[in-house]
Amino acid sequence: MSSSRNFSRVIVLGVAIVLLILPVLGCRREADDRQGQRPVPATTPGEPVDGDWLIRRMPAEPQTLNPITARDMYERVVNEYVYESLLDRNKETLEIEPQLAESYTISDDHLEYTFTLRRDVRFHDGTPLTAHDIAFSFDRIKDPLVDAAHLRNYYRDVESVEVLDDYNLRFTCTEPYWLALEAIGGIPAIPKHVFEEGDFNKHANNRAPVGSGAYKFVAWETGREIVLERNDRYWGTRGHLDRIIFKLVLDDTAALQLFKRGEIGAMGLTPEQWVRQTGGAEFDRRARRLTYDQLAYYYIGWNMRRPFFSDKMVRRALTHLVNREGMLENLRYGFGKIVTGGFYINGPVYDHSIEPWRHEPAEAERLLSEAGWIDHDGDGIRDKDGVPFRFEFLITPRATFAEQLATILKEDLKGVGIEMDIRQLEWATFEQQVDDRKFDAVAMAWSLPVEGDPYQLWHSSQAEKGSNYVGFINAEADEIIEKGRREFDAEKRRAMYRRLHAIQHEEQPYTFLFCPEALVVVDRRFENVRAYQSQLALEPLEWYVPTARQKYGRENDAP
Amino acid sequence: MRVYIARRLLLAVPTLLGITAITFVIIQLAPGSPAAMAVRLGGEGVRSDAIAQEIVEQTKKLYGLDKPIPVQYVLWLKRLVTFDFGTSYKDQRNVLEKIAERLPVSLQLSLTSIFLVYLIAIPIGVYSSTHQHSLSDNVITVSLFILYSLPNFWVATLFIMFLGGGDFLNVFPIYGLVSDNYAQLTFWAKVGDRLWHLVLPITCLTYGGLASISRFGRVGMLEAIRQDYVRTARAKGLSEKVVIFKHAFRNSIIPIVTLLATLLPAMLGGSVIIESIFSIPGMGQLAFESILSRDYPVIMGITTISALLTLIGILLADVCYALVDPRISLE
Repeated sequence: MSSSRNFSRVIVLGVAIVLLILPVLGCRREADDRQGQRPVPATTPGEPVDGDWLIRRMPAEPQTLNPITARDMYERVVNEYVYESLLDRNKETLEIEPQLAESYTISDDHLEYTFTLRRDVRFHDGTPLTAHDIAFSFDRIKDPLVDAAHLRNYYRDVESVEVLDDYNLRFTCTEPYWLALEAIGGIPAIPKHVFEEGDFNKHANNRAPVGSGAYKFVAWETGREIVLERNDRYWGTRGHLDRIIFKLVLDDTAALQLFKRGEIGAMGLTPEQWVRQTGGAEFDRRARRLTYDQLAYYYIGWNMRRPFFSDKMVRRALTHLVNREGMLENLRYGFGKIVTGGFYINGPVYDHSIEPWRHEPAEAERLLSEAGWIDHDGDGIRDKDGVPFRFEFLITPRATFAEQLATILKEDLKGVGIEMDIRQLEWATFEQQVDDRKFDAVAMAWSLPVEGDPYQLWHSSQAEKGSNYVGFINAEADEIIEKGRREFDAEKRRAMYRRLHAIQHEEQPYTFLFCPEALVVVDRRFENVRAYQSQLALEPLEWYVPTARQKYGRENDAP
Repeated sequence: MRVYIARRLLLAVPTLLGITAITFVIIQLAPGSPAAMAVRLGGEGVRSDAIAQEIVEQTKKLYGLDKPIPVQYVLWLKRLVTFDFGTSYKDQRNVLEKIAERLPVSLQLSLTSIFLVYLIAIPIGVYSSTHQHSLSDNVITVSLFILYSLPNFWVATLFIMFLGGGDFLNVFPIYGLVSDNYAQLTFWAKVGDRLWHLVLPITCLTYGGLASISRFGRVGMLEAIRQDYVRTARAKGLSEKVVIFKHAFRNSIIPIVTLLATLLPAMLGGSVIIESIFSIPGMGQLAFESILSRDYPVIMGITTISALLTLIGILLADVCYALVDPRISLE
């Protein structure tokens, strides 16, 4: 694997998955002109026309195209166009809106959700999509013999589904929870008549999906490409491109070469490629550059069970020692935004009035001494009650960014009398150490929904076994989180979560680093291209290629 | 000879059992659990936030990981007898099917590059032994060692940058083993297309191997040339060509036969780096990814097959010894 395959790609990998349930939103934004490239010329006005293919780069292959057993984001990237669900988020307005559902009602106690389906939806094989298919999909998620453990987690409170008739069905939950609607609305609708026979986990159609979406599956050549074709009988707004092809290119350098050769129409770039390898007017004549903020953030987690990290003043001192501006500039060419808490920076909760702690080594030293960490024995390392301030910093492999960050941090900490050892562990081992709480500090990233529930990460009940592995325990935070789960008034809930954001900033259980910016290039022959502020930020359903510029799919024109 | 081979084959059974048992235990003891990884969405470097212990337990049961390791091993052996390696945890596909899909790809690369290494390195070895300490011998030796020390991911990246189109020369394809329009080509065009795609990856896989094999050839020849029978052959007045190729060369290749034993498993192995850079779906990637994701059935499948090939390779090498060297007898 190339060394540029670092933290940032890795994030992209994880991020979209949470969104299986929490589809995507974000606001529109044009590419900024950071490197002094010429501005994007206005798109040629004209009626969108059908034709041409989009070839997109995929940096890793999906393991399966069954949306229920799939665990990686690449399945999502492909199936985005193949499978649909009851509800979806509008990319423009950010609102949840019906997709397969025509309408829905929620009972006053927030325990029953009744959906009425559209009657004009058909699977790609021509069979009508009915309530039985949705119920079947839900039952597969709940079936312990189905390899969908990761999804079942989100449906623990959704107890059962009842088919009222072919186009009406009702879900029943055990507890009121504001995210239940999105969870139920996000169940991917798979065809019952196709999947009911045989072993679900090993079903042949896991590699040949049959959905109801705007594009239908054509072929999957393992290790090479996945081909989708426009569904001309689609019930909704049809796409313009004849085909969308996902081409597997593992290596970043090779992928960029293929883009330059015109063999790839759209791909993500590393910050380094964006700045150093795509210069020149020639490249900009051929490529449209787009950026968007990823739904994720990088952070350093401090294990608060350790004597040195149990004091919030010490944690704040450490944050003062991390030069976030410098790291962002030097390690990521400035592509990212410093964050102060665990909410998506462009989401409705994030409180922009909170100023990040500054890089102030002098203030850090003062805080450390005040907290009692003083070099008593004169060995150059601060200590307290006989415990020297010496800890281990865990990082994951192939994470170039984390490696560089750790090296810089080690030097900076040494300057104030703290000794930090860096330890790099292979991913599975790393996870085990974190699960067993056998770590001092870690560098990691979280993927985020636009608006989510902080329970798993920040509630004290999750400190023992769950994802609150740093051991953040705060009575006020617990109260906010518990109340928030049952608060159905969005504005009230957001106000509560904003208070949690302030607590996070105050307590510094993590040193929050930044929200990474994703960098994308798209071939200029595509028109109506824009990046949404979301996970699946590109929307090729809107794209078209003027007839004169069409490249693929015209008679005898081999790919 | 026949008795010897039969005995060796019988011995291979407990050896194979031992290898698989040790591998089975080691991968299970390694930290990280496939069940816990399955519950977590996301990929390397990112964790999703939902973990529930009961769901981890369910998944363990689903994968058969809830039983004690010895029981799991016996169950695995039982299935192995029918040549059933089970299904991958990652995509629930049959392990043999996954290997069968990738093996031909790796074989194309490894067979070609091994063949080329021998084809180029042995004549070089012979040449430098007959011209020992000459300027050309030194130049060859130094250049081969320079090649040997160039990391192949670096060379591969340079190839892609400078010969793969874009800003520089557009000479070779850099993606996969065939062009997109492969299916429409005539037979000979298909062969040509495939060879054209193989040039860069094969070059990267080959140049580093030249040094060691040519050294083996050179040392073997140097030893053979000093033997009495070579002096006798020269004294008889035979031409230098006959002396070198008929008398010395044949005896010098015996050490190279030893290397045969390592060839078979090497063919299966593939190269993670070259496969990744040139987007070639081969065995290297499969093995690498299955280890990282703790995909036990796939790891076991690959280990068993390559252990089997190693054992066969060693046996073949021993038999070949007896064939090329009359002093060795297997009776």
